[in-house]
Amino acid sequence: MDRTFLTLRISVVPNSRGGTKRSRGHDGFVRHMKSVKGTSMLGRGVKRKWSSLEGSEAEQLPDAAATEDKRLDAALEDSEEEDRGDRRSRTDAGHLQQRQLVLSLCLKKLQHYQAGVELSLRRSVLLINTLRQIQEEMQSDGTDVQLGGVSRDARLLRDDFREDESVTCPGCTEGDAESPSPPPSPEPTNTTPTDLHKPLPNVVGHTFSDAGSAMGYLSDLALDDIFEDIDTSMYESSELPSAWAAGSLWPVSVSFWPNDDDVKLCSSAGSLQSCLLDLNELDHIMEILVKS
Amino acid sequence: MAGKRKLSERPGGGSSDVQWCFSQVKGAMDDDVAEADIISTVEFNHTGELLATGDKGGRVVIFQQEPESKNQPQCRGEYNVYSTFQSHEPEFDYLKSLEIEEKINKIRWLPQKNAAQFLLSTNDKTIKLWKISERDKRPEGYNLKEEDGRYRDPNSVTTLRVPVLRPMDLMVEASPRRVFANAHTYHINSISVNSDHETYLSADDLRINLWHLEITDRSFNIVDIKPANMEELTEVITAAEFHPDQCNTFVYSSSKGTIRLCDMRASALCDQHAKMFEEPEDPNNRSFFSEIISSISDVKFSHSGRYMMTRDYLSVKIWDLNMETRPVETYQVHEYLRSKLCSLYENDCIFDKFECCWNGNDSVVMTGSYNNFFRMFDRDYRQDVTFEASRENSKPRSVLKPRKISTGGKRKKDEISVDSLDFNKKILHTAWHPLDNIIAVATTNNLYIFQDKLN
Repeated sequence: MDRTFLTLRISVVPNSRGGTKRSRGHDGFVRHMKSVKGTSMLGRGVKRKWSSLEGSEAEQLPDAAATEDKRLDAALEDSEEEDRGDRRSRTDAGHLQQRQLVLSLCLKKLQHYQAGVELSLRRSVLLINTLRQIQEEMQSDGTDVQLGGVSRDARLLRDDFREDESVTCPGCTEGDAESPSPPPSPEPTNTTPTDLHKPLPNVVGHTFSDAGSAMGYLSDLALDDIFEDIDTSMYESSELPSAWAAGSLWPVSVSFWPNDDDVKLCSSAGSLQSCLLDLNELDHIMEILVKS
Repeated sequence: MAGKRKLSERPGGGSSDVQWCFSQVKGAMDDDVAEADIISTVEFNHTGELLATGDKGGRVVIFQQEPESKNQPQCRGEYNVYSTFQSHEPEFDYLKSLEIEEKINKIRWLPQKNAAQFLLSTNDKTIKLWKISERDKRPEGYNLKEEDGRYRDPNSVTTLRVPVLRPMDLMVEASPRRVFANAHTYHINSISVNSDHETYLSADDLRINLWHLEITDRSFNIVDIKPANMEELTEVITAAEFHPDQCNTFVYSSSKGTIRLCDMRASALCDQHAKMFEEPEDPNNRSFFSEIISSISDVKFSHSGRYMMTRDYLSVKIWDLNMETRPVETYQVHEYLRSKLCSLYENDCIFDKFECCWNGNDSVVMTGSYNNFFRMFDRDYRQDVTFEASRENSKPRSVLKPRKISTGGKRKKDEISVDSLDFNKKILHTAWHPLDNIIAVATTNNLYIFQDKLN
């Protein structure tokens, strides 16, 4: 059977996406795709992303952390060597070192995500389970750790966690009986478990106003655990807006877990700019809360 | 028809006496990989004549095997592009402010019923049924239209004639026949066509739905593992497949390393499994990563329907459907990575999802690894082999040389040390021709076709 190449009216450009004529329309409308037999594999296409701007910003983050991890990595490979010899000994320094590393990696991975892109549920569940396992192990070791940490992580999984958070801002909890730990001094990379002896701060949330002035924030979990080893100035409520603004560290849209039902829109837009504009509003709301 | 020699006609069929040769490679040659070109799924149709690939850019490319030439009867036909189309487009979920990726997660062919071919392709949220048909005739001689399609003035029509069909150059058309949308809140990871050829299942992280191919506005939910309180979620569905013969039976695997077999005759909602397959954990191997590496990334029934194969991070396991307590065979894919789990956790490689596949007579299984390596395990001869898909080994009909990874201190010549493995070069998707020793192996953006040496 002789098959000749078909010449289309629209020339097939090797580097265009698909390279063939596409008729747009609704799904119910039949779209006919015609292709030329014998053409080579598709040329390159450029992926269109709605959030390409945020994407590039978020991608810059891992580099900073990567160098730190490389140092830990070297230490870790050594500890794994030791660990294999005495796997059952929980007090083994290598095991503890690895545990600390895995814990910090776990938290970092749970916090870090790309705005506008839905998280992988499988990955998050595996991370949270790992976190639980570590915290259980630490608890059984006698390390004084409030398990509240894990339940806060697990709160990530809830569809409606944004809605019923009772909130206080970090600087406002002094009057609270179970006050959070004093702002930790900035610590260098700490491989001993002692820093976890400090009771983890209470749930620290944020105000979620109604849909009218909706915006998205990183969950309290992330805040608590990041705060353990970074600058205390992050805690100052007056400086919060600048802390938020400081960063692409704070993703804008928080939609961890999709919901079946209609969900209150907590993130108005995927862009950093609109979030920054809303920060003044947040500031104002915080003040009201503090005074009341 | 081309290339349909049965495996049983060949001596062996397993890897003991099979020599694998490079046949073709498809895709861009340069190292700079465009993200849209990343291959995300590979699937032969039921005769092996067609080979479909899906990519991250939402495109489907179908290759067709050329008929064997009469001049060289011992030479199999090459695979050439047959059809290309844009299956899925990126979408934006305005309610949640989230992008829905157009990446094709899975393609499954329907058995052929008439001249046209049908396949199901899915992204994270929407499944589409595509019809691929050939057109080699066109009608000529319309009364009301000119040949170029413009309408004639009816007043100028003085005679009538019957349009005739004239041959034309072959054109392959792909058109979406059904769109199955809005049934999945979570990301679709699997689709599987039932042996009744009328229904199929789609599985996301927490639910499995049963569809009828003709009905797009509703589906039945047959598995739902979503807890009332999402904070209690500890396990997700990772893969699902219908039994090849029993239209009431399907399995689904979980992130905790379990496989549940369900019988749809038992109840409408198959939350109660008929069987649960789980291997007890080896206490010596327990680590912080035990659960993550036990997460099953793929499950495939054997063609016979007697066995199923699962792939977790480090191994491939063959299960007898009659025995739930442990697998009947376990093959280590890259055990040398066990001591590197922490690094692999750090760079996220530990979350990679490798697929696996059976050969046509269920005697050999294949799966991918890192450094563009892929592995075959011969169940009959108890042999395994590692090959590499690379441009360097890509001379036509060059025989693939088995690769060896040195795990000990001393590295022999030609061995590769674990530390020099490239973890960015991963082979996640492989496919085996259902009737012949032809395999398709996808690296990041290239598709390699290998076949066994004939003579």
